[in-house]
Amino acid sequence: MAVYCNISEDAQQKYEHFTKEKPNPEMSIEYKVGHKDFVNSGKASSEIKLMLKRLGVNPEILRKVAVASYEAEINVTAHSLGGDIICDIYLDCVHIKFIDNGPGIKNLEKALEPGWSTADDLVREMGFGAGLGLPNIKKNADVMHIESAENQSTILQIIVFY
Amino acid sequence: MEQTYFHAIDLINDKCKGCMHCVRTCPTEALRIRNGRVHLDDKRCVDCGKCIAVCPFGAIVASSDPLSIRNDYKFKVAIITAPYAGQFTEDIEYSTTIKSLYHLGFDRVIEESMATNIMTKMKRHYIANNKDKKPILSSNCPAVIRLIQVRFPSLLPNIFHVEAPMSVLSMYYREKYSAIEGLDPSEIGVFVAVPCIAQVAAVHQPQGAYKRNLDGAIAIRDVYNAVRNDLADIRNLDYDFITHENGLSRALSGQEADEVGNDQIRTIAVSGIENVIDILQKVEDHILDQYDYIVLRSCTSGCVGGILNVENPFIARSRIQTLIRASKHHDHELDPMFSSYLNGEFDVLPLEPRSIMQLDTDMKQAIIKMKKLNEIKEQLPSIDCGACGAPNCQALAEDIVQGKACIDDCVILLKKNKNKKSD
Ligand SMILES: Nc1ncnc2c1ncn2[C@@H]1O[C@H](COP(=O)(O)OP(=O)(O)OP(=O)(O)O)[C@@H](O)[C@H]1O
Ligand SMILES: [Mg+2]
Repeated sequence: MAVYCNISEDAQQKYEHFTKEKPNPEMSIEYKVGHKDFVNSGKASSEIKLMLKRLGVNPEILRKVAVASYEAEINVTAHSLGGDIICDIYLDCVHIKFIDNGPGIKNLEKALEPGWSTADDLVREMGFGAGLGLPNIKKNADVMHIESAENQSTILQIIVFY
Repeated sequence: MEQTYFHAIDLINDKCKGCMHCVRTCPTEALRIRNGRVHLDDKRCVDCGKCIAVCPFGAIVASSDPLSIRNDYKFKVAIITAPYAGQFTEDIEYSTTIKSLYHLGFDRVIEESMATNIMTKMKRHYIANNKDKKPILSSNCPAVIRLIQVRFPSLLPNIFHVEAPMSVLSMYYREKYSAIEGLDPSEIGVFVAVPCIAQVAAVHQPQGAYKRNLDGAIAIRDVYNAVRNDLADIRNLDYDFITHENGLSRALSGQEADEVGNDQIRTIAVSGIENVIDILQKVEDHILDQYDYIVLRSCTSGCVGGILNVENPFIARSRIQTLIRASKHHDHELDPMFSSYLNGEFDVLPLEPRSIMQLDTDMKQAIIKMKKLNEIKEQLPSIDCGACGAPNCQALAEDIVQGKACIDDCVILLKKNKNKKSD
């Protein structure tokens, strides 16, 4: 099992505090993502963003959440057999988990490189496959954590602090 | 104190039958039926005018300034917005419809289309110099501006922050004629003939690109009527002016996008408020970042679709396209004003958000409300029947959470509970 974790510099302290306190989420919402369902893909991210907007989260943070969760949701649609999104809302951050049903990432290190992609023709036809999704998630999420292995599910988690 | 908002909408209470047409149509869910009568939420309304168009009983009407407002001023300037040109049948020449306005007592008639050239130049320059805010959103439609303020405040920085052509024209001509006529600027009345109530509201309570420098907003249909009745009298009169059909593209959403766009500037033209909402959602989700400029108009086909017009928008559009095709380009005295733009004279203040999205200013409270909202939604029947006076169950749930309604307003639930009790 390969694991990758990135914590942005600004978020180090907040993240430490968060893992020490282990607060209960204020709210938790689940979404389903269908295999190659490009018609509906992106809706969960959009709803998450709308909900945070309604809670008064500021636009710059919303932008980060929107970009990171959209890329992650598309990846589940495009590269996996489908899966679930669990969005936990806390008073100072949002924690989103993308858990899919495999087939996993063969080479995680490579997958994280900008420009590396295994996107098939259909995915490319839909305008994806530049290999910039994971790097973009890394750039926008305060915390990014992936675990995956061949023929297993991929679990991607992101945290964005408000 | 809560800020009050001007709306160019009058509710005629005793004509309202509580039928829900308007409530269901309103794109910002600003209307409710309470005690059998329609109520408008000032903060949510963006003056798109859709409620006026659907009311079968004439209980919601547009308000605008009467033509007689010009009589209060010594020197009268009329600014004619572009859709005006599409209102008349083709046997009446465009120049005749302008001539008639002189005959009706205006001392100078300015076509908004005169500013199209310079506006296009400004937009291109602005887009090139604000790549970090891409896509830039057009600012000409006041209903769209208000929509962004209430529903998409995060996109306020993307708006083309330059004075509207009406404001530029009004500033320029007020100064010019007060000098020529030796009058105080306040003795010069500058009025604009507008196609929609959003523009009436913008003149009376300007936001950003509309400075308070217009003295009134007259409905195009009122001007049309006066001109139609005047036509026979003006055949042999002579006034000295040229017309600017070339810039009438402003009345049509697609045309503006075509004019501003080029190899470097990718554009989209969007019209109809539901389409505008959909596109703004996508801009907010950053899936339209590859575009440079988006033309957004609340009315179908653009300003020709405004409810203060007379003609069907598609017919008006065809007529305007014919006029544009036959037109010659004229250099205009405004063209040199590009340097004023570069000097920042047309800059406008950043627009203020007016968000209706936030459930509470305190996040803790907002979360509590959100949870309560979800619980209430579970209880409600989700059939969006509207019997409670709100457009759908979600809206009722929100009203309840915000203390504006109660759960007993749901007739279905009330009946269900009654049946349970009597069992
Ligand atoms: N959930 C997943 N399951 C399996 N493989 C994945 C998953 N997410 C990403 N990958 C693999 O990682 C690669 C890189 O992903 P990344 O999002 O960076 O680029 P992309 O999706 O190929 O293209 P883009 O995101 O630019 O449209 C993908 O091509 C795919 O091989
Ligand atoms: Mg991707």
